[in-house]
Amino acid sequence: MTRYALTSDPSVSVEVVSASLACCTLELQAALNSGALIQVSEGGTGPSVIVIAGTVTDALVPSVLELIDSYPGTKVMSFGACATSGGPYWDSPPVSKGIDQFVEVAAYVAGCPPRPDAFIQAIQELSLNRAS
Amino acid sequence: MKHSFIALIEDKCTSCMLCVRECPAWCIHLDSHTVDVTEEGARRPKKVNVLDSFEIDYSLCMYCGVCIDVCPFDALAWDEHRALVTTNREDMLLGIEELGPSGSS
Repeated sequence: MTRYALTSDPSVSVEVVSASLACCTLELQAALNSGALIQVSEGGTGPSVIVIAGTVTDALVPSVLELIDSYPGTKVMSFGACATSGGPYWDSPPVSKGIDQFVEVAAYVAGCPPRPDAFIQAIQELSLNRAS
Repeated sequence: MKHSFIALIEDKCTSCMLCVRECPAWCIHLDSHTVDVTEEGARRPKKVNVLDSFEIDYSLCMYCGVCIDVCPFDALAWDEHRALVTTNREDMLLGIEELGPSGSS
């Protein structure tokens, strides 16, 4: 779990847990290291976000849910088409058609892969909605 | 060029279905009907396609741009001013109004 703040507005910070499942993981790393976010030390009031990045196969669903359960109160971000709906694998039997079938998702980021600025935008929106 | 959004220029679309058939993720839905247009001096009415609905499901879209490349009328275009982030999955299915190019309305 690492805390990141916006370079443009350091008062906006989030704790990011990455569930690395497939190629979107690399894109998430690119977004985290794009320069728009800076790593900050512990503290801060922003929410914690668990980012589901990549294809969730039916076999992986229990492990993903276990990971989410191990961070109570953490918001779930569906990063990319696969995590949202199955993406290009929507007609593949062993691929789950979106993690929102199993957990409540706080933010969906569109793209295959999403651009870094889409991730930054999602972080901003999650920070603004932290009261809800 | 940022690949962050695909916009529809409605006036240019002829409902030819090429984008729908070429999309690798099958994320475009299009509905249309034909009307007869009678032109002066023509021997019979001309059939013209009218676009009823056009939807891109951004929960599936791969941003590959095949639809943009394949469109013979340049009715689809990259729109680099928008990135789609939603809190609701239903909001990722965008129709004609939401797909308009930014700056148009």
